[in-house]
Amino acid sequence: MDFIFDYIRVDTFWKILLFTHFALAVALLAAVTLQAVTVLMPARQVAGNFVDRSPMPAVSYTTLIIVLYVVQALLGAWIYVKYRTYVRIPMEELRFWKTLGSFEFKEHVIAMGLGLLPAYWYFWQQPRSAEHAVVRKWVTIFLALSVWYGFVIGHLANDFRGVGSL
Amino acid sequence: MTQTLDVADERLSQLAGAHPAAAPTSTQTRASKLGTFAITFGIAFALLYTVYERLNWPLFTYHPASGKLEFWKQMAGVGPPMFWYGWIVLAAASALVVGWIATMVSAPSLRRATVFCCALAALWPTALAALSVFIVSYATFDADFLNSVWIAAIPALVGAAAVTYVVPSRLADRVWTSWLLTVPIAGLIVLGYSLQQYFVR
Repeated sequence: MDFIFDYIRVDTFWKILLFTHFALAVALLAAVTLQAVTVLMPARQVAGNFVDRSPMPAVSYTTLIIVLYVVQALLGAWIYVKYRTYVRIPMEELRFWKTLGSFEFKEHVIAMGLGLLPAYWYFWQQPRSAEHAVVRKWVTIFLALSVWYGFVIGHLANDFRGVGSL
Repeated sequence: MTQTLDVADERLSQLAGAHPAAAPTSTQTRASKLGTFAITFGIAFALLYTVYERLNWPLFTYHPASGKLEFWKQMAGVGPPMFWYGWIVLAAASALVVGWIATMVSAPSLRRATVFCCALAALWPTALAALSVFIVSYATFDADFLNSVWIAAIPALVGAAAVTYVVPSRLADRVWTSWLLTVPIAGLIVLGYSLQQYFVR
């Protein structure tokens, strides 16, 4: 991987990686939030054929969410190497304990979300099945909350030392 | 257009439902096994990840300063050690095995085993904490030998077996998929509590 540093500076490389992580996080956040809203407020049956189109079906987001979640987890795991030495140590020295603790908790939240992905995928294979409707809804909401938590706390850590921070 | 397709899909579903009940096809069996695997994997992963994190059992340790990867838990080395990758990989590998075994056992046995494991996961640390309180506050003799995870395992195993015996099969069956949410949330409460040192300083 060192050959990359012949062309760009080390800190520029990590900033590009961090920005990519942020951009993909926005996409994941949008998809998972839309799906969570769809399961919380399903579209009502329209009368007759007055409305000729229905909202985007929630099931169509599933594969995208799984792919983005896994890619984001891998990208986050990669950036975490830099965080551990370049960000966390100064965080400890400057006694930013709450930011540090929240970021530690983010690791666990994302790990729990990763573990739920196979079941999430399975439940969304039969989106009309009433058998798993309740658990499908709550697993989707759990994933949405995990992504929101990861996004907010990741942003806080970035503000401490990352893209655009001093 | 989408609505037309939806209506057609519903009619097809109704037609499919109109056929007399038949023996499950290989596709249905495969789907059912896949579901069993996915749900069991989710429950086992959350449970095992919490246990491995609390016991600090990573499959490997990564030292970011030196770029070295070492098997199991290695505190010594240049710079801070990283265990998170090791916990995730070990939990995923263990959950894969548990999920695979789950596809081979009967559904009632799997439901019961899930109740047993979840009860054990809750009772074991509770028993350990209760023993610690007993040793410090109530013991009138040198009870330090009781302060052991293996001693705490005895009441935990007995308690988990009792809970599994008492819980009716229908209830175990009905709540099985609920463990998929209960276990990660409980795990996050435990893991969050372990991080309280960062929030009370």
